[in-house]
Amino acid sequence: MTKEILSTEFNRRTVLKTAVAAGAVQIASPFVISARAADAIKIGMVDPLTGVYAAVAQNEVIGARFAVEEINAKGGVLGRPLELLVEDSANDVGTGVQKTRKLIERDQVSFIIGDVNSGIAQAMAQVTAEKKILHVVSGGHTDGITGKDCKWNVFRVCNTTRTEANSVSDILFNKYGKKWHFITPDYAFGHTLQQAGEANLKKLGGTMTGNELTPLGTTDFSAYLIKARAANPDVLLVLPQGSDMVNCLKQIAQFGIDKQIHVAGLQQELESLEAMPPEARVGIWMFEWYWKQPGVPHVEKFVADIRKRSNGKVPTARTWFGFTSVQTYAHVANQEKTLDAVKLAKALGNFQLPDDVKLQPNKCYYRAGDHQLMTSAFVGEALTKPAGDPEDLFRVDQVIAGDKVNPPESDTGCSLQWPA
Amino acid sequence: MNDRFNARKLIVLAGIWVLLLLVPYWMPPLGGYTALGTRVLVLGLAAMSVNFLLGFTGVLSFGHAAYFGLGAYGAGLSLKFLAPSSSLALLLGMLLGGLAGALLGTLIVRRRGVYFAMVTIAFGQVFYYIAFQWSSLTGGDDGLRGFSRQPLDFGLFSIDILSNTDNFYYFVLFCFAIMAAVMGFILRSPFGRTMLAIRENERRARFLGIPVERHIWIAFTLSCFFMGFAGALYALLNNFADPKGLHFTQSGDFVMMAVMGGMRSFWGPLLGAAVFVVLQDYLSSVTVNWMSFVGILFVAVVLFFPRGLLGVIRQKSEA
Repeated sequence: MTKEILSTEFNRRTVLKTAVAAGAVQIASPFVISARAADAIKIGMVDPLTGVYAAVAQNEVIGARFAVEEINAKGGVLGRPLELLVEDSANDVGTGVQKTRKLIERDQVSFIIGDVNSGIAQAMAQVTAEKKILHVVSGGHTDGITGKDCKWNVFRVCNTTRTEANSVSDILFNKYGKKWHFITPDYAFGHTLQQAGEANLKKLGGTMTGNELTPLGTTDFSAYLIKARAANPDVLLVLPQGSDMVNCLKQIAQFGIDKQIHVAGLQQELESLEAMPPEARVGIWMFEWYWKQPGVPHVEKFVADIRKRSNGKVPTARTWFGFTSVQTYAHVANQEKTLDAVKLAKALGNFQLPDDVKLQPNKCYYRAGDHQLMTSAFVGEALTKPAGDPEDLFRVDQVIAGDKVNPPESDTGCSLQWPA
Repeated sequence: MNDRFNARKLIVLAGIWVLLLLVPYWMPPLGGYTALGTRVLVLGLAAMSVNFLLGFTGVLSFGHAAYFGLGAYGAGLSLKFLAPSSSLALLLGMLLGGLAGALLGTLIVRRRGVYFAMVTIAFGQVFYYIAFQWSSLTGGDDGLRGFSRQPLDFGLFSIDILSNTDNFYYFVLFCFAIMAAVMGFILRSPFGRTMLAIRENERRARFLGIPVERHIWIAFTLSCFFMGFAGALYALLNNFADPKGLHFTQSGDFVMMAVMGGMRSFWGPLLGAAVFVVLQDYLSSVTVNWMSFVGILFVAVVLFFPRGLLGVIRQKSEA
């Protein structure tokens, strides 16, 4: 019996097939990426390059790549070049965690950036903390990342939702009126935003005329809008995100509500404005960074450099996030002359970004207590007709320093646990 | 002749297990990493559970991610609120997924074909929205976090599966082996043969006096138990549970793995999951259009190799 098997298994064909397969493996080498410059410092980036956040994530990558290019041209980090490895989290937590492990375990990166999706960012933070790798969250806004779930190795470049609410509230109240009406997406993120806005309103002494909870994926906002108009508020706050926001704003424009009531929201992105039909580009918003800052040093050069690398598109807040995340690592490592994560994390407390990185008028630094970057809020109005440049879709009215709009450290609920 | 066939089967089986046992040794030199192998096993088990229903009973569920996700949330909630024990988490995750399947199964099994698929999607989405909205318990959109898998405590000694990825891989492999053995045992039992009979010709099975609905219900429930277990393992793998794991697109991925690997064979879905996961992992580092390539492969398999990748390998080796 055994003999029979052997004779059928090992005939000439089998040998040939094996040989061909073995040869193919040599050429194809499935996922072997060996022979990298041995002396490069590897840093990893995990972002949702596919899925609903693709546009913003790809801008973060452009910014990060440019930063690497610039740093390497200036002599690298500790005399070694940087090498950026980008992985797609596909907007899925499991994949994001997997890719983070891949970068740390297989590629031995010494620094991690990511993710746009807050949930993935938090799951990644668990991995980086376990592996003791320095981690900058470039684009996830949930309060917890630098709040009650903060970690010694995790820093954040973008703002918290509470900061976004704080930065718009004052202007809206002083400039546009004290009666507010909310349109809130009915899930945790929306509730957080709405509560922050309402708390600010109460503190300032205003009144809320109503709060419309809209289910995720709402396409027809007419019932909510009619109700909001009937309540006759001074300001209508539009909090839904993504395609819900676009639908809501389009219907606001159709009903002519923006002519009667001041329409406003919290955070807005250039990527979203560009994707919107012109009539939906209304309202008062907060940008986390804007490319048109006359008189601020280094900004024009940055815009020109990015335009060369992205088919003429201007940098957005996301481009700046990616850029700043990499620059932070390079600057602090060069300053401390080490790659040790604990030492770098300690040094990043109160670390101030240099002028050619911060690209804004105000002081910009990482707070030591919660590791949140104190970056300016750009508050202004979305433009239906672009002003001059076709990508100039926002008029900045006020640039507010980060430490003025962030809640105090004691209020964030963060207590950092350093490794022994 | 039959002897030869059986001996060959044994050799293949031994080959599969040797390959699986040695993953931490051959994967890193090939450019992989052990955690990738763990993910293949977990998603492979999930795809095998879908196939338990699709390939062996002949009914297509498009909502199985719901029971996968319930298993994940069950494990996460148990670790977070009940007790820091990995085995308890696995047990509770499996129970949550399985019992939900048993309850809903009673409503679902009366439908057939596309209606069966539609109803399973509908019930699956119910759980997705519950997880999405009930933020105080499930963490809502941000997912359930704040738990991590715990070392296995055997009284005399304990095994660290948290920081040691190889240990965790072997733990998952051990769990996978038990589940695969139970699944194989069920399929070889008279009950398993009855499932095949229903798949081949439901009307004839009914004429033979087989209570078809009850059998499909049992198969559905068992498959949900396996699915819940896979979900619980997935939660331990990520130390995280998120609502996307309950979404019907996730169910679609599982069906894709099962069909790609070969839905009439026992090991096919594992191969499908391996191809899917490794391809995703490798291609998505190279290009953002990786989904197109996975999609093209899937279309090619469905068009040209309806028996799946394993079916093709089988056919070749038998010819």
